[in-house]
Amino acid sequence: MANDKTSMQLISRGILSENPIFKLALSMCPAVGISTTVINGLMLGVAVLFVQVFSSVTISLFKNKIHPRIRIPTYTLTIATWVTVIDLALAAYLPDAYARMGIFVKLIVAFAIITMRLEMFACKESVNDSFWDGLGMGLGFMVGMVVIGFVRELLGSGAIFGYDVLGFKPLLFFILPSAGFFVVGLMMAFFNWIELAYKRTKGKI
Amino acid sequence: MHRILTYWTAALLFILAPVCLHAADFVSEQRFGDENEIILTYPAAIDKTVAQNPARYTVFEEADPDIRLEIQKIDVSDDGRKVSLLFKESLNTAKTHVVSVRGDDGREIEGIQVKKSYLGYLLSILISALLVNNFVFTKYLGLCVFFGTSKRKTTAKGMGVVFTIVMVVSALMSWFFYQFILIPYDLNFLQIVVFIGLVSLTVQAVDTILRKVNPILFNSFGVFLVLVIANCVIIAVPLIMASNNYNFAETFMLSLGAGGGFLLALYLMSSVRERLDLANIPPTFKGLPIAFIVAGQFAMAFLGFSGLQLF
Amino acid sequence: MKDILTIIFRLTVTCILAAMVMGSAFIITNKAKKHNEHVNEQKVRYALLGYSAAQPIPDSMALHEMYRYVVTDKESQAIGYLLPGKEGFIFLTLDMEGKVIDNKPVDIAESAVLEKDLRDKVVQEIAGAGRSVTFADQTIVVTNNGERVAYLLDGKFTGFKTFIGVMLAVDPKFSILGLEILEHEEDPGLGAEIERDYFRNQFKGKTFDQLKDLDVVKEPLPDEYFQALEGNIAAADAAEILAKYGDRDIYALTGATISSRYVNTGVKGIVKKFAYRLNILDTALADQKIKAAF
Repeated sequence: MANDKTSMQLISRGILSENPIFKLALSMCPAVGISTTVINGLMLGVAVLFVQVFSSVTISLFKNKIHPRIRIPTYTLTIATWVTVIDLALAAYLPDAYARMGIFVKLIVAFAIITMRLEMFACKESVNDSFWDGLGMGLGFMVGMVVIGFVRELLGSGAIFGYDVLGFKPLLFFILPSAGFFVVGLMMAFFNWIELAYKRTKGKI
Repeated sequence: MHRILTYWTAALLFILAPVCLHAADFVSEQRFGDENEIILTYPAAIDKTVAQNPARYTVFEEADPDIRLEIQKIDVSDDGRKVSLLFKESLNTAKTHVVSVRGDDGREIEGIQVKKSYLGYLLSILISALLVNNFVFTKYLGLCVFFGTSKRKTTAKGMGVVFTIVMVVSALMSWFFYQFILIPYDLNFLQIVVFIGLVSLTVQAVDTILRKVNPILFNSFGVFLVLVIANCVIIAVPLIMASNNYNFAETFMLSLGAGGGFLLALYLMSSVRERLDLANIPPTFKGLPIAFIVAGQFAMAFLGFSGLQLF
Repeated sequence: MKDILTIIFRLTVTCILAAMVMGSAFIITNKAKKHNEHVNEQKVRYALLGYSAAQPIPDSMALHEMYRYVVTDKESQAIGYLLPGKEGFIFLTLDMEGKVIDNKPVDIAESAVLEKDLRDKVVQEIAGAGRSVTFADQTIVVTNNGERVAYLLDGKFTGFKTFIGVMLAVDPKFSILGLEILEHEEDPGLGAEIERDYFRNQFKGKTFDQLKDLDVVKEPLPDEYFQALEGNIAAADAAEILAKYGDRDIYALTGATISSRYVNTGVKGIVKKFAYRLNILDTALADQKIKAAF
């Protein structure tokens, strides 16, 4: 099956039309759990991006060598390997950020989004396309995390990237752990609203 | 489970069994009372003036044998069997305390360990994983499957039960691998690979066994098995077990609590979502957005369990 | 049947490849990890003593690490101290009443002491067969031109959720110089505020006598005190405000009174135990005429 999309289209698909967090609603756990600041969201986003790109490329490279019966175990092993690598690297070079993210770096291994991309895309397409697809999905996840982190940090502690911008704390509630659910739910509703409004105007014309 | 129960009942009986030897020297039961109190119970009445001599007792925390705790007052109950030691400062009941009592003839009997009961501790791990640190509502794990399978009560129950079984089996297997392979050979960095491998293996095994042994059950529950792998709780439990260095019984309790907590969360959520179907929800909130908001409310409610200590 | 063979073969190859990737990643990162941990530790220690990258620690200052072990044999327990002497390390064993049981020189290199496994092994050998040793804690004695100026104490105690790990700096009279929260799992926005300056710095400057009955009060933190603790105002003004509130109890964190209490009790416990032990150790050192490095 040939892929007819350009690299740009593949990337934009990951970020917009098939955004893993807001559209596919996959891998929600970190989006709720640790998105209290932009930095946290960005760091985990980078980790996921790394794992997604490397796993996609690896599977795509070896796609003809993988026996169909052991497809899933091979995917799991590949993902686990790259997660171990990023886990060790973060623990060694960025211990502070690693401590804040806690168990979530290791949990990337169970992210449905990564396995799904391997199964649906990387095992069929060329290395090049798989790279762009992985990059798009990873970026989509990162953007989602950063947006949620931005909202929560701005409203919760009145700061962005740790710098005080508002000078006061509008709603402490937003950095409380349970607020993650509300923020994600409200943002999903917001995107739905835009989509509905867009469709309505289009329908009128 | 049975084995552990029998073991503990035996241990409990042993401690509580009335022993009639050396009546005055032998303490039959020891426990923490109020926050600054240790209560010793003797099988027979002992002399009040002897019992009230503070020089007779030395008390310290097991980890700090050089720091003696200062006794302020000693009360003896009317029947002379219960001695309560009151300390100047409140005790840290999480730690094991050692009480040595000098006998009438000046010879010191061995230190009596005063600690919270181990069964209580195990139960507290269970309660903690079930309510206080509920994996869905306070640790935010397993959300994809949580939102995916909480639409109907029947699905929720099926998923929760299958999940708990797989969780307990895989966590116990992970414990064996962790204790006897990863630690001795210094292979801790392979945690992720080993744990996820064991989970996949368990799921595959349950799938095969269920298919052969009970096809009817498989037809109703088999579909959930695939979803189990995509759930991060299942990998989080072995990781937590490894970082806390739990023993076998503790791991069992943790995985049972995690599975039970997931079942509870799914059941609560599905009950609400069945009703939401009938409610008049604004179109922008239909589906996942309203589910997230409901989950947020549950999470806030579960915050109330924070710091709960039963044992 | 043929299928199974190819499957086994391919799985093996996959595993070997994966193992190679992970193994090399481990080897590359492990060294950096240890180095970074060490650097981080040093940074925390210097920060507690009031030094930073901009204001480096003077050459006349030295940090001496002292390790405490609990030595258990069949009948009794004793406390063992592994401490740096004028020449090489010394392992000093004291009984419960503070009498010296043993005093042996230890042949261990300066760098080996820092590695927990190596250190434990050496201490076990010194203690001899039939006695088991368990590591209890470590203390760092800071000297300036040979005079003791501060102690750095490690500690861990129960928090609201799990454990709270701290490092404390106290002066020779056991007044608190600083408190650093190293690890905790308190709720973000509530208990996690214990690591913020406005909470930690309230402990700064509390004397040993004040500390003995230091309590936590459920009152709102006055704004000027907050600003001074956070270091938002000029140093001279801040010092005045801090002096004004110096003899107050600890203001509890909003919505996290229990976490605040745990920290308060934990800090009190660490300092009190240390003061008691150091007194005994110093007497023993003077009795035995042992020349410690500090």
